[in-house]
Amino acid sequence: MGMTTVARSLLVLACLVLSPAINLAGQDARTTGLGFEFQEYRLRNGLRVILSEDGSLPLVTVVVAYGAGTIREEPGQEGLAYLLENLMFQGSENVSPLQHVGFVQKVGGELNATTTLDKSLFYETLPSNYLALALWLESDRMKSLAITAAAIERTRSDILREHQARLLSDPYLESFARFDSLLFPDFAYGHPLIGSGSELDDITDENVLSFHQKFYVPTNAVLCIVGDIEPAKTRDLIARYFDSIPPGYDVSMPPPPAFRQDGEVVQVLPGVPTASVGFHFGYRFYPLQTGDAPAVRILEYILLKGQTSRLRNRLLRRDLTAHHLSGGLEDRRGVLALKVFSLNNNAVMVQRAQKAVASEFERLRTNAVSADELAKAKQQFKMDYVRRLSTRLGRALFLIDAAFSGRSLDLLRAELEACLKVSPAALTSLANRHVVPRNKVVLELEQR
Amino acid sequence: MRPLPLLRPRPAACLQLVALIAVLSSPAVAQERFRRTPPLADSQPHELSLPALERITLPNGLAVAVANRPGSPLVTLQLVIKAGEADSPPDLPAVAALTARMIGKGTKLLSADYFENMLESMGADFSVTVLMDYTVLTLHVLEESLDRALYALRLMVLEPAFSERELVAVRRTAYWELVERKKNPEFLGWRQLLRTLFETTPYRTATYPEDVIKYITAKDVAAFYARFYRPGNSAFLVSGNINGDTAARKVSLHFSTWAPQPVERAPMPPPAPNTRDRICYVADPSAKDATIFAGNVIMDASDEDFFPFLVLKQVLGGTTQSRLFMNLRESKGYAYYAFSETEFFRTCGVFWARARVTPETIFPAVREIEREIRSLATEPAVPAEIEEAKSYLIGNLPARFESLEGFAEWMARVVALDLDLGHWDRMPERLKLVNVERAGAAAQRYLAAKPLVVIVGRPDWLLPYLGEFGTVEVYDTTGMLKETVRKGEVR
Repeated sequence: MGMTTVARSLLVLACLVLSPAINLAGQDARTTGLGFEFQEYRLRNGLRVILSEDGSLPLVTVVVAYGAGTIREEPGQEGLAYLLENLMFQGSENVSPLQHVGFVQKVGGELNATTTLDKSLFYETLPSNYLALALWLESDRMKSLAITAAAIERTRSDILREHQARLLSDPYLESFARFDSLLFPDFAYGHPLIGSGSELDDITDENVLSFHQKFYVPTNAVLCIVGDIEPAKTRDLIARYFDSIPPGYDVSMPPPPAFRQDGEVVQVLPGVPTASVGFHFGYRFYPLQTGDAPAVRILEYILLKGQTSRLRNRLLRRDLTAHHLSGGLEDRRGVLALKVFSLNNNAVMVQRAQKAVASEFERLRTNAVSADELAKAKQQFKMDYVRRLSTRLGRALFLIDAAFSGRSLDLLRAELEACLKVSPAALTSLANRHVVPRNKVVLELEQR
Repeated sequence: MRPLPLLRPRPAACLQLVALIAVLSSPAVAQERFRRTPPLADSQPHELSLPALERITLPNGLAVAVANRPGSPLVTLQLVIKAGEADSPPDLPAVAALTARMIGKGTKLLSADYFENMLESMGADFSVTVLMDYTVLTLHVLEESLDRALYALRLMVLEPAFSERELVAVRRTAYWELVERKKNPEFLGWRQLLRTLFETTPYRTATYPEDVIKYITAKDVAAFYARFYRPGNSAFLVSGNINGDTAARKVSLHFSTWAPQPVERAPMPPPAPNTRDRICYVADPSAKDATIFAGNVIMDASDEDFFPFLVLKQVLGGTTQSRLFMNLRESKGYAYYAFSETEFFRTCGVFWARARVTPETIFPAVREIEREIRSLATEPAVPAEIEEAKSYLIGNLPARFESLEGFAEWMARVVALDLDLGHWDRMPERLKLVNVERAGAAAQRYLAAKPLVVIVGRPDWLLPYLGEFGTVEVYDTTGMLKETVRKGEVR
């Protein structure tokens, strides 16, 4: 039998008055196994909260992340997510434009924001006795961002001007966007932060308001606080500033991509205004089987991390076919890709270097990685992993990433251990399944 | 009009009404008024508490300083050599930098590749920093690799081979790095500022052009090493989850065989500050905007004016809320940005304002920067500005110590420049003591004189301003004086 109306009302009353927040997994601190603990719960409006105490310095980092990254943009709206990120500094009901920055800087704090594929995030690191200030600022713009036609126009022109300046100073910037669109041939996953610029011009005020109303809401956000905090007091402050913000509607993520690529893709990008020729080279690792993700992470180190890694050693030292080599692993919501960018002196060197990169990937299919080389890669991976967690901001971003990817925060240690247990056989198996023509993309750069 | 029917209260509706009232009167809604003003800071802030620096000197004279950071899974090892760019002989600029870069490039028995592999196998991050007065070799490692890291560092530092073959590669890298840095107008401006301010001192040696790198030989490097890389001229710093005794024992195990030898260094008097109108124009054909530096020589970091001057620098151009940014960018619209900075050496310091401006506003921007600097000396900053600057500096301290790099860099500076604990864990107290009077007195001592002005821009941008500036020294991007143009002269 269902609950009576009276009982339901009593329950609602009890929930509203007695329980300011819903716990995801109890109020007790849980351990990540990575040297720090955390608590996790949700407010009534759906805002997910993660707290992690560290009193070693009187410092606190506050991060608010919204599931409002580029994946939310529709075709023709490229740049909308970034426009919103910038509008978040243009004032809210109680904070005038750019005052947010001033409030934080006046107390010695540091702040920034960024937009990725799946989220836009905003953070402040400041003395811990100013925690309430950060929460006041973040809650004010979450609750009452002042989106005006003038603010949109001002922000849009600032972004376009900066984008033009960046294009002028970096002749390769456009080639990276083009390569990504080939490597991730799905609009949601493969389009850049800012398109050609014309899309940004065409975005209407209604587009901006609609994007904001849909995605900049508590149900679609995570608040993470790491540092010198008293959890109980911090919960009270969070309740005070965030609890009354309307929840917004639930928003679902776009479906996983289905890439269609029959054979390898090799394209030429003509007219690059630079003195060097070069190429982008990449393999996509998707869909993944259990154990694949840790193997790709270690593979990145074997191929590209450190001066003695295979590709750096071969192209920059042994063959001397490249004068610049960069790249690494990119994770776009579970779609992994290893990317290489090489600059070379002439077309012959481009071909030689490209052949060498291809042969190093191919070699993984047949030759097992030696125990020494694997141990070195793992140790470098571990060092970077630990180092990333050595600051409050690094830890907060790590927890936010985990929360957005849907991973359990209790299993983070297990993730590290999985990477440290990758075997030579796992790497060979990975290469045999993914280092195949349908996952390979090359973009050659031709000089103007 | 039909009267509205009277509704008979129902229990459920009553409870829903109570629930609604409860929501509306709950703290969340009642607190909305708190949104109108920023909350006050917590009344009892936690003070910054840095680990004590435990200091021990080994029998061979090597100083060991340890900062115990419990809970940290990483250990930072730093070897500070108290010899930097300014210690390169005048006829061999860059030899200090090349010597440091050669550390780890092989011993008589082991190759450079061996060390690179060894360090990467530990996951270690090795870096070399060569500053004006000292050099720091830094190794960040996981705690589990500490002993191997010490062993590697011992071999690298105590048994370097300085082979000509490795030096060729090091020279090439250093040369191209400098060529690359020259593409940055900020670097060109900063280097010209130091070169001109230090033109009569050994510090000028540090502002060399890339060509001098080609002429350094392995013999030069070995000689510099033999003279300065001595335990009595060095300090070994350890920070991490390790106590002083254990760290000193481990360092001693590896470095007690390092042969002592006195290091003689001629005393370096501080240079005199600039006092006259002086404009240096660095003609950079590839400049996209004009970059302005205006600065002068100030006190060293051990001077009692050090902390008041930090506050002044903050008032002038520490953040986007400071005078320079608010005036040149927000009010006048001349600049993309405008900030002020300081750097401290063994016998003096240097402050500078820097701004990037549009070419058509070079002249008014220079005059506005000079006015802002001078005004701090003529009209003391108001108490609210001083307090705001102190609030920033004190509040920002923990963030500076948070990262491995920040902590290590600060620790190296305190030890290398022999600074007292006022520069370690007592900085907040020292900053709190700064008031309007002390800041005003420091401003009168160090900001009243004319700053040296350096402008980096395209050659043709200078022409319209020749009638405005008095005399302009024009340099190329290598720092070579090309011409001196005087007001009224036809070019």
